[in-house]
Amino acid sequence: MKRVFVHPIVLLILVLFSTSIALGQAQTRIRVIQASNIGHNIDPSLRDVYRELGSLFSFTSYRLLRDETLDLILNQPVTISAHPGRSMEVSLIGLRRDIAKLRIRVVREERDILNTEVRLLPGRTVLIGGPRHGEGVIIYAVSAHF
Amino acid sequence: MNQEETEMISRCQQGDQEALREIYDRYQKKVYRIVYGVVRQREEALDLVQEVFIKLFRSIKNFKGRSHFYTYLYRMVMNTAIDHTRKTGKHFISSLDEEGSFQPSDEVEKGPERILLHKEAEEKLKWAMEKLPAEQKAALIFREVEGLSYQEMAGAMGCSIGTVMSRLHYGRKRMQELLKDYMGAHGQGGDTSSAPKAQKSPKADEER
Amino acid sequence: MQDLCSQVLKLLEKYFDQEATDKEKLLVEGHLQVCPACLDVLRSMEELRTLIKVPVEAAAREEDFPWVWQKIEREIRSQRKPTWLQSLRSRLDVSPLFKKKIWIPAVATLAVLLMITAQLIFKETPSYPGLSDVEYVESEDYNVMVYQSENQKVTVIWLFEGTEKGASPS
Repeated sequence: MKRVFVHPIVLLILVLFSTSIALGQAQTRIRVIQASNIGHNIDPSLRDVYRELGSLFSFTSYRLLRDETLDLILNQPVTISAHPGRSMEVSLIGLRRDIAKLRIRVVREERDILNTEVRLLPGRTVLIGGPRHGEGVIIYAVSAHF
Repeated sequence: MNQEETEMISRCQQGDQEALREIYDRYQKKVYRIVYGVVRQREEALDLVQEVFIKLFRSIKNFKGRSHFYTYLYRMVMNTAIDHTRKTGKHFISSLDEEGSFQPSDEVEKGPERILLHKEAEEKLKWAMEKLPAEQKAALIFREVEGLSYQEMAGAMGCSIGTVMSRLHYGRKRMQELLKDYMGAHGQGGDTSSAPKAQKSPKADEER
Repeated sequence: MQDLCSQVLKLLEKYFDQEATDKEKLLVEGHLQVCPACLDVLRSMEELRTLIKVPVEAAAREEDFPWVWQKIEREIRSQRKPTWLQSLRSRLDVSPLFKKKIWIPAVATLAVLLMITAQLIFKETPSYPGLSDVEYVESEDYNVMVYQSENQKVTVIWLFEGTEKGASPS
């Protein structure tokens, strides 16, 4: 009798476990953009956010420097180079239903130039910008899919 | 911290001036050595000793006994001395340049040449100390004058032992660079982080 | 030999300060017997210590602290009993507010609070029910502004360097 129930129970546990793992994951896209007023040029890969960028900022030129998609697992930080001379550490610190909670740290020369926790819904983007780069500024566009 | 000292501090925290007198008798020389090490001038050092103990009486209520009392006191002494040098912001001018400014010491058996050399070295040292960043100055005084261990220095300076060693290393290096003309046969021996390029003969030992 | 020299040089200060382990002491002492250059370095440190320490020791030995305790006592006594005029003056005294370590952080805090409050007061987008996108933000080196776009699809975290203009969101 016991054996009859063991296999379904183990299967159920495995299903729940894998579901929980799947639930504890989110794909996060990070784009590093240089915005400036030199020329009028929009990087083609930024067309999907150009409208927002245009409505929010007064720059005439946007160039994509880096595009990374991270598969974040709950509470496991991932660090990427956030160009130039900076790194960005992204951690998925919460995930429920349709809200992903991210902790984002931007570090330069071992100093936290930004430490933030944001909530993202699918399709929503957080733009982090301001640090100077050459003739323009750097903007990090962070969005999540899950 | 022994029982006697704990009791003395506790009485002082309650405003007992006699207890402050006991602390003063116990620590006045140590405090004087530290402040003199920084300012290298008697009258200034005495004023600073006075200032330290007045400050101590005012602020001893903040001492919670989590660290040793001497690390609390030493930190206060060093901060007071360094703040004083910052406030006075003196640019060092050699008093030997002024005619008649030199005062011979009380020890008449010393020849005037020796006194002059000693005075010159002391003024040169004071000049060099003023060039050091505050933390390196503090590290050198605590180690060379008071003989504190790295652990004790870390407590007094509120930093790690690694930081203490780094401050000592760079402080010594800088002082040796600044004082190389006064460092006798060992003028170039400042950099301990790289291997020596040439081995000198043992003759240097005989000269000392 | 050069490798050993560089190894010993790294330990020399610890040895000089009597913080070396027994093993390190043996290594250093053994090497110093055969390396005049490293011995030279040690002698430099000894000479510096002598330069720094000896005058201080001499001054402390000779010092009899004339009138120091009396001055301390007098100062403490005078501080204990302020006159009515001094009490009034200390109550009305605003000079501590003008100390740099008070007014600089106070002004900086006020500026940050004003910036944050201004965003809330002058925000054109209506507040939306539910959660704010940015839960927490701090920066060691920049002033930070958080802005929500009208369509609420984009949130902007903008880092200001000092009082720069021209690079801010429109």
